[in-house]
Amino acid sequence: MRAVLPVLIAVLLMPTVSFADAPDLKELAEHPRWKALLHVNQGATTRGRGHSYVEDEAFFLHPRGKYRPEQELRASIKALRPPDSPERCRFPARYRFLAESLGWDSEREPLAHCDEYQQWREMIPGSRVVMVFPAAYLNSPSSMFGHTLLRIDSDDDDGSEWLSWAINFAAQVRPDDNSLFYIYRGLAGGYPGQFSIVPYAQKIQEYGHLENRDIWEYRLNLEPEETRWLLEHLWELQDINFDYYFFDENCSFRLLELLEVARPGNDFLKGWRFAEIPVNTVRALYDADMVAGWRYRPSKAVELRHRLEQLDVPEQKLARRLADDPALAETAEYRALEPETLHLAASVAYQYLRHHHRRHDIDADMRQRNLALLHIVNENPAPELPEIKSPVPPEQGHGTKMVAATGGAREDTGFGEAQFRWTFHDWLDRDAGFFRGAGIEGLNLRIRQYERHRPRLEQLDVVRIRSLAPRDRFLKPVSWFVHGGLERRQAGERRRLVRQLQGGPGLAWRLGNAKPHVFAVARMENNSAWEPLVRAGGGVRAGVLYYAGGFQWGAGTGGVYFSNDEYRHQSDLTLNVPLARNHALRAKVLHQGWRDDDGGETEFRLSWRYFFD
Amino acid sequence: MKKVFFAAALLGASVTAQANAPGGPGCGWGNMIFDGQSGLPAHLSATIVDGTSGNATFGMTSGTNGCDTSVPLAYHGSGLFAMQGMMEEVAQDTAVGDGEALTALSVSMGIAPEDRGHFKQVMHANFSELFSGEEVTAGEVMQKITELMEQDEKLATYV
Repeated sequence: MRAVLPVLIAVLLMPTVSFADAPDLKELAEHPRWKALLHVNQGATTRGRGHSYVEDEAFFLHPRGKYRPEQELRASIKALRPPDSPERCRFPARYRFLAESLGWDSEREPLAHCDEYQQWREMIPGSRVVMVFPAAYLNSPSSMFGHTLLRIDSDDDDGSEWLSWAINFAAQVRPDDNSLFYIYRGLAGGYPGQFSIVPYAQKIQEYGHLENRDIWEYRLNLEPEETRWLLEHLWELQDINFDYYFFDENCSFRLLELLEVARPGNDFLKGWRFAEIPVNTVRALYDADMVAGWRYRPSKAVELRHRLEQLDVPEQKLARRLADDPALAETAEYRALEPETLHLAASVAYQYLRHHHRRHDIDADMRQRNLALLHIVNENPAPELPEIKSPVPPEQGHGTKMVAATGGAREDTGFGEAQFRWTFHDWLDRDAGFFRGAGIEGLNLRIRQYERHRPRLEQLDVVRIRSLAPRDRFLKPVSWFVHGGLERRQAGERRRLVRQLQGGPGLAWRLGNAKPHVFAVARMENNSAWEPLVRAGGGVRAGVLYYAGGFQWGAGTGGVYFSNDEYRHQSDLTLNVPLARNHALRAKVLHQGWRDDDGGETEFRLSWRYFFD
Repeated sequence: MKKVFFAAALLGASVTAQANAPGGPGCGWGNMIFDGQSGLPAHLSATIVDGTSGNATFGMTSGTNGCDTSVPLAYHGSGLFAMQGMMEEVAQDTAVGDGEALTALSVSMGIAPEDRGHFKQVMHANFSELFSGEEVTAGEVMQKITELMEQDEKLATYV
């Protein structure tokens, strides 16, 4: 009987509501907040415009609700109107929207019967909302451009961020899926995506400690009322599946949808948002005047380097030995140090051990050393350390897409070039806002026309990633690169368009503003002059990047030897001069040689590069 | 606030056995503090996909795989410190006498902003007692923190 009664009431109420207010309901279904609550595609992506992004029957109260916001509105009115409706507990934000829009104001505590929801809301009171942007992480395909999540702080108290909650949208992958499979399904669709709520402290550990990513935190200026909308709606998304697409319907996009619920009527969901990358999400928030301030949270590796820089070289060596044997602190050599220096050396040693073993099992010996080092830290007074200076935040970097116009000469023949790069940054572009020495390029196209010739494809990189991670006494990361696409190279008696895939590990160091590096190169190549279809080659490439006075210099030399006894080598020098945030001049001179090359060929080119979007 | 510590102490005693049980590793007051984070199961999948691996949770638990700290979390989040790696952050901050993890711990215990500095001092001064050996567990440390606070005139009011 108890279940029947509400239905009965609803049925009785329905005709009056739907007939009397029919035109209003049509209008109400067009309300920006209703559309936001249903996650209706308002034109930002191609799939299913006007329909909801949600791929889950549990989210809709009408069988056609995904496609018909108005039908869903009517069904919601019907289901949420009865005072003890269990649906209210699933859709508190929808309920509030309807109650406020339709004047259901008679009830004092309309959600009093929703125990689980009430408990949850108590746990996440929420007073401040922060957009969190862990910077790029090249070693993971999904994080190359960074990632975004929201953080809910329970009060305005700085210093309790560790107790905050993180709202994360991610693909739900099975643990046994491997990385390649993930990339395929991530691009093609096929993973369900869900929101989850986890302690922010856990995210700090994941990003800042395990992955060594700097984290940028953008405080939003949401009013308490707007935050309340966001949280009430978040509850409606519990266990609800969205489709996850790496390129468009990704984490960044979904978070914008949440913010649209909090403050409807933003433009950021109306424009074309294909391949939304996190830095542009941050820019969108700035454009919508939602950012109240930002904060930089350095990774553990940055912290370690910062402390290390306070020690001179002999002291660094002492710190390194202390990590292997903390008992050395009792020897005369260490006792001679200032107590503050010993504190610093021990903390560097401790952080080094934690960093070095962050992915390994810890044995009894390591535990002992960790504790012993902390004892030394504890017994010696802490020195005054200068604050870690924040780098330029990512949203102040150059635009993500680029076009370039180039003039140049190869040997005695002049040429002009047009270039377009879909995304994102190469390691000689203006580095403000980017991680120095990291380059990610996707779809990089160059069309070249020589004098008295027709335009021809000179280069089409599908992907090119270079990660330079400098090594020092304490940190010993491996650099790497991968590069695949088409390029014009000497094969047989002339230059031909070759199809190639190459990559390899490398080592890099940092000497002041210079980053010398060396890579091993493994290359697969297909061209119309060589048999068989695919040739393998191996080689080496060495170079140096130099950043000074706002300019970026790059020099390199290297060669590849192929299994058919052919070889090629190239040396080059590049200077990049940023003129403004989105403008740069680039000059490059290179020399290429090959077997029987008769001296090889030299090329010079000068480009004007313009960044946008 | 007494309840918080009662719950924590209780868990400290009873979860010890469960820490190595199936579904339980990587979480709980029974974990050794200086064990690092290798057991944090979330990290592998997080590395690959920036996300969760099949058992995303929504608030009622802490969200780490196999680590249900729902009860203490309801008490201002001190249960967070049962999660692997967290107490080591506290240890590090305690050695120095300041830091975000230590601040968070004091906040989770309801210590008023004006007394947090004092709390940190007391912790710092008693580092050796709190972290007496390399096999100390999160639960044991939590219990000692409570004892220290009880002995302190100002902090006793928060226990």
